[in-house]
Amino acid sequence: MAAQDFNILLATDSYKITHYKQYPPNVSKVYSYFECRRKRGGTQFSEIVFFGLQYLLKKYLSGRVITEEKIQEAKVFYQMHFRQTVFDEEGWRKVLEKYDGRLPIRIKAVPEGKIIPRGNVLFTVENTDPDFFWLTNYIETMLVQMWYPISVATISREFKKILAKHLKATSGSLEGLDFKLHDFGYRGVSSQESAALGGAAHLVNFCSTDTVAGLLMAQRYYGCPMAGFSMPAAEHSTIISWGRSREKEAFESMLDQFPTGPVSVVSDSYDIFKACRHIWGDKLKERVIERSEDSCLIIRPDSGDPAETLIEVIKILEECFGCSLNSQGFKVLPSYLRIIQGDGIDLNSVDEILEKLSDEGWSAENVFFGCGSALLQKLNRDTLNCAFKCSYVEINGKGMDVYKQPVTDPSKGSKRGLLSLRRNSDDFIETVERGVGKPEEDMLVIVFENGSIVQEYTLEEIRKNARLLEDYMAPSQHNQDEPKSLEPHQKHIMNGVH
Amino acid sequence: MEHRDPNFNILLATDSYKVTHYKQYPPNTSKVYSYFECREKRPDPTKNRKVKYETTVFYGLQYITNKYLKGKVVTPEKIQEAKEVYREHFQDDVFNEKGWNYILEKYDGHLPIEIKAVPEGSVIPRGNVLFTVESTDPECYWLTNWVETILVQVWYPVTVATNSREQKKILAKYLLETSGNLDKLEYKLHDFGYRGVSSQETAGIGASAHLVNFKGTDTVAGIGVIKKYYGTKDPVPGFSVPAAEHSTITAWGKDHERDAFEHIVRQFPNVPVSIVSDSYDIYNACEKIWGEDLRSLIESRSADAPLVVRPDSGNPLDTVLKVLEILGKKFIPTENSKGYKVLPPYIRVIQGDGVDINTLQEIVEGMKQHRWSIENIAFGSGGALLQKLTRDLLNCSFKCSYVVTNGLGVNVFKDPVADPNKRSKKGRLSLHRTASGDFVTLEEGKGDLEEYGDLLHTVFQNGKIVQTYTFDDVRDNAKITDSGILPMTPSLNLHPPSQKHCPPLERRVDPLPTHTRKHVQTHT
Repeated sequence: MAAQDFNILLATDSYKITHYKQYPPNVSKVYSYFECRRKRGGTQFSEIVFFGLQYLLKKYLSGRVITEEKIQEAKVFYQMHFRQTVFDEEGWRKVLEKYDGRLPIRIKAVPEGKIIPRGNVLFTVENTDPDFFWLTNYIETMLVQMWYPISVATISREFKKILAKHLKATSGSLEGLDFKLHDFGYRGVSSQESAALGGAAHLVNFCSTDTVAGLLMAQRYYGCPMAGFSMPAAEHSTIISWGRSREKEAFESMLDQFPTGPVSVVSDSYDIFKACRHIWGDKLKERVIERSEDSCLIIRPDSGDPAETLIEVIKILEECFGCSLNSQGFKVLPSYLRIIQGDGIDLNSVDEILEKLSDEGWSAENVFFGCGSALLQKLNRDTLNCAFKCSYVEINGKGMDVYKQPVTDPSKGSKRGLLSLRRNSDDFIETVERGVGKPEEDMLVIVFENGSIVQEYTLEEIRKNARLLEDYMAPSQHNQDEPKSLEPHQKHIMNGVH
Repeated sequence: MEHRDPNFNILLATDSYKVTHYKQYPPNTSKVYSYFECREKRPDPTKNRKVKYETTVFYGLQYITNKYLKGKVVTPEKIQEAKEVYREHFQDDVFNEKGWNYILEKYDGHLPIEIKAVPEGSVIPRGNVLFTVESTDPECYWLTNWVETILVQVWYPVTVATNSREQKKILAKYLLETSGNLDKLEYKLHDFGYRGVSSQETAGIGASAHLVNFKGTDTVAGIGVIKKYYGTKDPVPGFSVPAAEHSTITAWGKDHERDAFEHIVRQFPNVPVSIVSDSYDIYNACEKIWGEDLRSLIESRSADAPLVVRPDSGNPLDTVLKVLEILGKKFIPTENSKGYKVLPPYIRVIQGDGVDINTLQEIVEGMKQHRWSIENIAFGSGGALLQKLTRDLLNCSFKCSYVVTNGLGVNVFKDPVADPNKRSKKGRLSLHRTASGDFVTLEEGKGDLEEYGDLLHTVFQNGKIVQTYTFDDVRDNAKITDSGILPMTPSLNLHPPSQKHCPPLERRVDPLPTHTRKHVQTHT
């Protein structure tokens, strides 16, 4: 049910208040669509994960979203904001009277979690009643914010591809992949709501997170009781509060307080290298060695050049604790010891670090990653060129395909007419324009109609749709739709069942 | 200032690992004291950062304290909910149920912490303490850093307001140079960012931060935030004008762009109206449709109700210059007192695509070189204004600097060998102004020896808001002065002494004696 306090009449760009006066006379339908446009010159992100629409529908668009109070509030506000009367009070009152405040809108969308190549229609929006042609683009502002969960889920999945590549190459398996990238981004996003949405989007691909808000989002809007996990870990304040001369006592206390289960200890408060060599590797060595594989110590560097620091740290740990060779001939630290790099991590540095580690003979099994702003904040609508455009109108009962095609930027050209999405005979996903698509081939599904959500997805289904396929290195992943099943334990963990 | 989400649970609004920190502090710790700053960063010679961001605007804490921290934030239901979530999330019982029950019982669910902060809107140089947080009950030492996660999110309004203000300085400089005055400066950068932010909540916070410096916005959400959490004496803090979007032009069909333009212009005769003109060919639209077909319609508009032509694609500077050139041929400009060209008052331009602080600088410089006054133009900015920012831009950071363990105060800090930029401050902190007007942060409790002059004021205490700022205060404190248009000098705003503003220069901070208080130790 949409939030009480929220007023959809105030949740649009100001200028849209004035648009009902701008469409051609006798327009009875405005049909628009959303895509992640392709950009010239080869795209870094050639496919996207569709995620997040259900949240918007449930939170803001479904049910009775218009009331008389909200109309009055908007009227008073816009009078002052525009310094004149321009708000379409009558239009909104009609929605209230005719539909009991529910939105006469139809949204068709690709199922959530599906992987779709850039440049394809992802959802369409149209008014279902000719009186409300102006409503379609009124809700553009809110719907375009879909760029965010789509982009986070997509980037998170790109991380997963890189991690999978290295893990497979250096260990022969993908065991533990879902825990390799931990969400550290809660404090570095712009708001609590973004944290929840971004945090949940990351959980489409992984189950490792410290962004608690994301867990709640996945629970409340996507039916997953527990979508992610974490472990006891230190922060600088819990180490430095012991005083500079007592870093060893601080470390030891961590081992005492958390005797079972993995524990992560940030070790760079003063000197990461000395901490590894003299404290972990010497003074507390016995305590470390006695920990089991299920209760490993995870050392956390947090400053300096990520790759260089990691290499130096792992070399010191090798000297102090030794290592063994795995089936692929790569070095692995003893099972009670691992490293987590949670500073300066983005798509480039992860690849670079794992490449360097591999060059030095180290397996990707040794390292976990934490990522904050690169995962949840360092993205914007231009990352995947997300756009919402009108492609079709009906005027005087006659349909017309419409579009923009600015001479100053061909990549900003929009699609024309009624749209559908299909798999063609070469098994590639493509958009069919101008209304010639066959309904039975259309991958777009009605998810919202006249105030009701008519199709829902659970996180479990979404995760399945978004999974990496075994041959991720093949050029077109979206070819194969055959389910590759998860290992049973992975499945359970993924869906919060132990 | 209500409007709180009943679903919000502060026990679930922290980084997971902080749930385990109460077990990690030294035994018998009775206080944890932390602070927030926008760290200084030593310039990286490999990076040519054009914009320096030497000062920051402190804004947005009041939103967080009011919305999330004040009043009764702990209830039995919330404790239970958190307990259950964490049991599953950690696969273990590590949640500090006892600690939260203590707060519920002893404080009726109010948070026993104290926050002291610089007045909102204050413009403070990098590397200074902006607010401090400390626990007020020995049992609740762990609470200080529990709220780090939520408090550090103040990086966002601080960064939006700061970046917006830096753009205001650029606009002011060029407007002054090319026109001799600052008329309409506050409408020169319009917020187009609503759709390009990550959530509704972010839109509200970010848009309100932009309105600290400007008055033009399309992000309606910002105005609600200002009204609920700050308040203004004027009915609204931000304004807009009727404007077209592509759909309202393209819906007429490719061959009817002129009809669309004419219709919309006629709908809004008495106020400025902005018309996006690049749906097919911006240059043709300017030359043929505006410049010829509809010329007399435009010429009949008043100076209060200009047509504002909006390009929306192509290289921003090139497009702006070409559009001005074409319009200048059809609507003959006059020369102003500074010798720059100004289009007739009934026609203007707004560039709302690809505008960020760097392209803004390029465009106004390019216009100046081509002898066009900045009076001709306004800008819209979306993603760059409200989204394309991270915590790293101003190095916003929250760190513990002081603890009390076994009754003894200890100054603590981090100092990672591989990154001197990440070193944190020591001990109890205060913020002062020197005789020459510079800001200085005193560490290790040295500010105690000052009679007066700590610019940090208690804003939150044990669940209550004890100091608030109106949005008018915020705008006042963040004003750019004439000196602010030149390279950074300390703000010389002189106000009657009051808690709402940084005290004037008369409050001196004399050099301090070198002794420190007996019971305070600094571990080195």
